Amino acid sequence: MTMNEILDMLYGILHTTGFLNMSWKMPVMWSIGCLFLYLAITKNFEPLLLLPIGFGIFLVNFPLVPLMGWSHDQPHLLEAFYHYGLEWEIIPCVIFLGLGAMTDFGPLIANPKTLLVGAGAQLGVFVTFTGTILAGFTLKEAASVGIIGGADGPTTIYLTQHLAPQLLGANALAAYSYMAMVPLIQPPIVKWLTNSKERTIRMKQLRQVSRTEKILYPLITASVIALLVPSVMPLMGMFMLGNLMKESGAVARLTETAQGALMNVVTIFLGVSVGATMTGDKFLSWKPLLIFSLGLLDFAVCTIGGVLTVKIMNLFLKEKINPLIGSAGVSAVPMAARVSQMMGQKYDKGNFLLMHAMGPNLAGVIGSAAAAGMFIAMFD
Amino acid sequence: MNRLLALVIIFLFFLVPVVGAEEFLQAPVIPGGKVINKTDDRLEVHYNLSHKEVIEFYREALKDTKDIKFRERKDETYIEDDGRLPWHSITFPKKCPDGIVVTIVKDNWTWILGTLFLRFIGVFVVLLILYLAMVTSGAITTMLLARPVKKSPPIGR
Repeated sequence: MTMNEILDMLYGILHTTGFLNMSWKMPVMWSIGCLFLYLAITKNFEPLLLLPIGFGIFLVNFPLVPLMGWSHDQPHLLEAFYHYGLEWEIIPCVIFLGLGAMTDFGPLIANPKTLLVGAGAQLGVFVTFTGTILAGFTLKEAASVGIIGGADGPTTIYLTQHLAPQLLGANALAAYSYMAMVPLIQPPIVKWLTNSKERTIRMKQLRQVSRTEKILYPLITASVIALLVPSVMPLMGMFMLGNLMKESGAVARLTETAQGALMNVVTIFLGVSVGATMTGDKFLSWKPLLIFSLGLLDFAVCTIGGVLTVKIMNLFLKEKINPLIGSAGVSAVPMAARVSQMMGQKYDKGNFLLMHAMGPNLAGVIGSAAAAGMFIAMFD
Repeated sequence: MNRLLALVIIFLFFLVPVVGAEEFLQAPVIPGGKVINKTDDRLEVHYNLSHKEVIEFYREALKDTKDIKFRERKDETYIEDDGRLPWHSITFPKKCPDGIVVTIVKDNWTWILGTLFLRFIGVFVVLLILYLAMVTSGAITTMLLARPVKKSPPIGR
């Protein structure tokens, strides 16, 4: 074997490694992946999602790794998760099944007028849509960016996958990042919009909700949504199925699986496949940066919408609602409700708003799904 | 020779949408029509063509354009651009005994803001109907489940 042959062989081996195929975008993406890992591990920001997303970003930004792509008509590992889980729109719906199985709609059933707060808190979704078009996005992209303010991860992913799959990674990341930052974003806005008298409004204790009402609720909601916004029934149908399983008490094993093992499994697949969509070529452009800025605006306007809706409702109601619970209309369950509770206690130590805030919080989930349905109907 | 001529004519017919078509706001315009109305944001052209011929022209002309929707309404065909093109819609009626009028409209903020406002109201309507359904069902459930309070028997005589 000659020296040249040995060198050729070494050169060939070197070509099969990543070193010769590196680009400057890759280390940048590693840092972004590591930033999300840091936020998840050290700061405990939405760790269940940011950890797999961060690691997904990290993994796919190495050259030649057979993770996202197709070989001989067979998807690579993460491509398979993405293709069958997200492109087929299965994972967001299964997550909604688990969420339904974990959710107690009692506070919303006891005080159904808080449903309107969930609608008002979608204001930012529509305002941001306009801003996003001005920033140079297409109508479909604008809708998918707008829904970030609904603060509902699975709904954001579902709508983005439906309308603008090229923005999936950025939108999902923006949604989950801002959801984790609700305690930082909302309090100054709510404080600015309310006076000290409003902040100390005490609300009447919620009534007890019977088991029959809780069982009927998913059936009623599923019927109303199916008739009015059928396009989001894959999400809402699963949400209500999970809730019916829980409230019926007849299928304890299924409920336990839906809220535990199944939820955990799909969360892993969701996180890692969302992260895997974020290769440097797609992510390092002006669009994701704008999405993050617009997402913040979106969250702020949605919070304003929720608080203003409560203030408008108070003009007509005998029993006033504390506007601090208006901010919980942005979904982000239960973080936004906890923020309302925390703020309420700051101004009046004996004021317990958590259960009251859960009403608009859950209404926000339905509201953002309804907004998503409106957008899907607009383009389909 | 005739066969060759026919082939050339067919080729040219399909070539027209690609290279020969005029444009208004980058929207293809079928050549040979009579302009009824033309402003900066609207064009109306009359043609002696059938609905089928017009729709075939546009299907061919827009086949490579992204984010285009062909919506078949009851009385008209409505082609909508959901992308970033300067035109918003191309509309033409389905019944056209005296020729067909194709209307091209510029992309406009009135449409965008109008549809957004309506859809925001739509979210309220959905949740309002859900609210009414919940209140009604709650009232019915409470009524059905309400049990008459048993009067305790009088103590003593």
